[in-house]
Amino acid sequence: MKLRLVQLACAAVLVAATGSLAAPPRVQADTYQRISGSGSSWAANAIDAMRVNVKQFGITVDFNPNGSTAGRKDYLNGVVDFAASDIPFQFNPEDGSAPENPAAGSYAYIPVTAGGTAFMYNLKINGKRVTNLRLSGENVAKIFTGAITMWNDPAIVADNPGLTLPARTVVPVVRSDGSGSSAQFTAWMIKTHEPVWNNFCQRSGRAPACGFTSFYPTVQGMIAQQGDLGVAGYVSQNFAEGAIGYVNYSYALGSQFPVVKLLNAAGYYTEPTPEKVAVSLLKAQINTDASNPSLYLTQNLDGVYADTDPRNYQLSSYSYLIVPTIVQGQFNLEKGKTLGAFAYYAMCEAQQQSASLGYSPMPVNLVEASFDQIRKIPGVVVENVNIAQCQNPTFSADGTNTLAQNAAAPKSCDQQGPTQCPDGTAGMANVPTAINPSAQAPTATVPASGGATPTTVASGGATKTTTAPGAGGATGTTVVDPNNPNGVTDPNVTLPDGSPVVIEGVGTVTCIDPSACGATSPDGVATPQGALTAAPAVATMIADSSSTGTLGLELLVVFLTLGMVLGPAIAWRYFTERRS
Amino acid sequence: MTATTVLRESERDGTPASPRKLFQRGGRGDRMFDALTGTSGLLVLSIMVAVGVFLAVQAMPALRRTGFSFLTTAEWQPDRGQFGIAAVMLGTVLIAAVAVAAALPISMGTALFITEVAPRWLRATLVALVDLMAAVPSVVYGLWGAKLLQGNVIGISRWINRWLGWIPIFSVKGADPSSPLSSASVYTASTFIAGLVVAMMVMPIQCVVMREVFSQVPPGEREGAYALGSTRWGMIRVVALPFGRGGIIGGSMLGLGRALGETIAVLLIISPRFDMNFHILEAGGNSVSALIAGRYNESNGFGLSALMAAGLALFAVTLVVNFTASWFIARSRSGASSDA
Repeated sequence: MKLRLVQLACAAVLVAATGSLAAPPRVQADTYQRISGSGSSWAANAIDAMRVNVKQFGITVDFNPNGSTAGRKDYLNGVVDFAASDIPFQFNPEDGSAPENPAAGSYAYIPVTAGGTAFMYNLKINGKRVTNLRLSGENVAKIFTGAITMWNDPAIVADNPGLTLPARTVVPVVRSDGSGSSAQFTAWMIKTHEPVWNNFCQRSGRAPACGFTSFYPTVQGMIAQQGDLGVAGYVSQNFAEGAIGYVNYSYALGSQFPVVKLLNAAGYYTEPTPEKVAVSLLKAQINTDASNPSLYLTQNLDGVYADTDPRNYQLSSYSYLIVPTIVQGQFNLEKGKTLGAFAYYAMCEAQQQSASLGYSPMPVNLVEASFDQIRKIPGVVVENVNIAQCQNPTFSADGTNTLAQNAAAPKSCDQQGPTQCPDGTAGMANVPTAINPSAQAPTATVPASGGATPTTVASGGATKTTTAPGAGGATGTTVVDPNNPNGVTDPNVTLPDGSPVVIEGVGTVTCIDPSACGATSPDGVATPQGALTAAPAVATMIADSSSTGTLGLELLVVFLTLGMVLGPAIAWRYFTERRS
Repeated sequence: MTATTVLRESERDGTPASPRKLFQRGGRGDRMFDALTGTSGLLVLSIMVAVGVFLAVQAMPALRRTGFSFLTTAEWQPDRGQFGIAAVMLGTVLIAAVAVAAALPISMGTALFITEVAPRWLRATLVALVDLMAAVPSVVYGLWGAKLLQGNVIGISRWINRWLGWIPIFSVKGADPSSPLSSASVYTASTFIAGLVVAMMVMPIQCVVMREVFSQVPPGEREGAYALGSTRWGMIRVVALPFGRGGIIGGSMLGLGRALGETIAVLLIISPRFDMNFHILEAGGNSVSALIAGRYNESNGFGLSALMAAGLALFAVTLVVNFTASWFIARSRSGASSDA
């Protein structure tokens, strides 16, 4: 009996083995060595989407979202091929942590995605979730430093005339690991509410000041969790009513939770939607000194905090990939080829998807600068990316940021004052919150002051602009001229007014209307470029298939679990009975 | 003839006769086997010593800087020079204590049920199930604890706090059990919840040791008790429990050893705090192993040395606990049979 079972098992294994052998070999033009990275959990949702999408080209990228600090450290220790970090290497950390000293000229920053650090909260009034909470920067700072402890604090009530806030304890949820989100958040607090922050530092045992830090100090009454996922996971639990945590906007979307509308310098409460982030980052100062790779392309966000555009969200920032520029440690030329292909994908096609994930796509000057940075990766196969085919929603013919240009102005009820909008935010955008009659206002959109009225860029009906003589096909065009980095010397994110993107080569097509581009793009299948454009469609398909059949999946899980628990027990009983 | 007698006389007058030294010249196979077992035994010992020495050497820079205050400081900022294990060691001990306290009744009950009460056909299934519990990876327990258990334990935490809150260890700062609007968050991410999850991991180990011991209760004594008119509980009380005392204590201590070192489940649940927090129901705490796992990724040079020092302290505590466990087991009647 036992022998027969063994035979059966062997047969099953054999069948399985031949089955896997018979499977058709994967068709791929290129072979890529597997690469790995780690770091920012803030940017992890964007990077994960990219990794999933490049799988179809045979590119395997492993990414461990263990926090920006850990990512940079892993990179320095040579255990990963690239890192993702919200902040650059800390040569002189203000918070007393150990300095990071990468070898000069061994790395480059690639700004990979942009987004808002959002305050996701779990608050109910009469059993109904609040989705339209508004807070001033000062109140946010006070909440996360323990100065405001109740939701019905007069300061919070003043921000929310339309809500009857409950007498519930505020539970700030912060990051327990070294985190770029904490760094961005504390940098903002130092710039805008320094006394509140320094006072807290002293109370938490880091006298006299903790400075700008990746390690958020905690005191009794706060909850600290690992990673953005940990923070979002805690806040979204049923028991965590009253909790508020800082995460990337995408996590609030994913958890289907609202985020705080934060008061900006123009007096409007805004939510970090991709459009608002794009507007805000127009004021980010990007370092354009290419001769200093330790700072090149890094951000200074003071202008974002002070921006008086009504659409501004103060806690908007870029996140970076840190890539090697020399062969070192486990990194070799083969991996460079993979990393290069991945980075090209990340900077071009992947940007179309950013907005649907809750991130903001990169503007054209940073995309171009990134292409230059990618060339520095050893072993990279330089692609002459036709930038128009990236279909990045921020691109326009005249170099302005379309996404920011077209961003809608906030509603008048979002202005600081006696009125409050009922509309939901982030993951609960479709769920309005009932507001007190006294705070109701007509919900008409008012043109914002300061000339920020929504404008359309595609003037003159020009859907495509051919800037070079169209000799031959439009393949193999060079978009960025390495000898002419003018395109990125503008301190602001947009290119100099109206000047076209620096374009060389033959037959380059710059277009505004994606569909027109698709039509005019030459051979969409044979070139790797054409293959890459198929990515979003596949990504959508994957997303679709995962959303259907949840019941079936649940049943499968239940049966699997039951089988795992009962199977061994039954088998055990069977065998022991036979033996005895 | 005489010579023989003299020899015997001299032998008798000398030192008392010792037993003849047994001496066996084994074959080559025997000697090879001896060498092999001897080497592996020594290897285990030397690995143990090497781990200790490695930790001590790595920890030296940190220990030299703080000196004795390493044991008394409740803070963890190595790069600022303020760090010590007082808070994390306290947290470790509290988590382990909660775990053992919760696991002991369950594991003892299960072991007794399997050996004494359960019908024969159920035994194998139960044994397999308990073994299966030991095989579940701790990260699974951690996720289960963080996502499912945490929300459902709040009621128990609140109940304990409400009725036993006057005992300092069960008091919770910022909690108001009578107010429906009070935050449930103060009861989450606590030492107590982490301890309960660790208990689930410790339970199978304790159960295996105890079951082993209870199954070796001499049948004569067992049947003797029955013959004298004892009930089943009476038999367990007067025969099984006294016989297995060493196994119970030893099993618990082994579980304690495991609980002290449990990492990922604690890391997933607890909200790290670096003060002396005796309140087990209150949010926040930490353990040495969770501290190391959480900070290892982010530490360089001196920070790493400080973590090594914490590891050394944990290593020492675990060694003491395990040696105590084996001492208890060895002293007991059932000890020879136990493999602890």
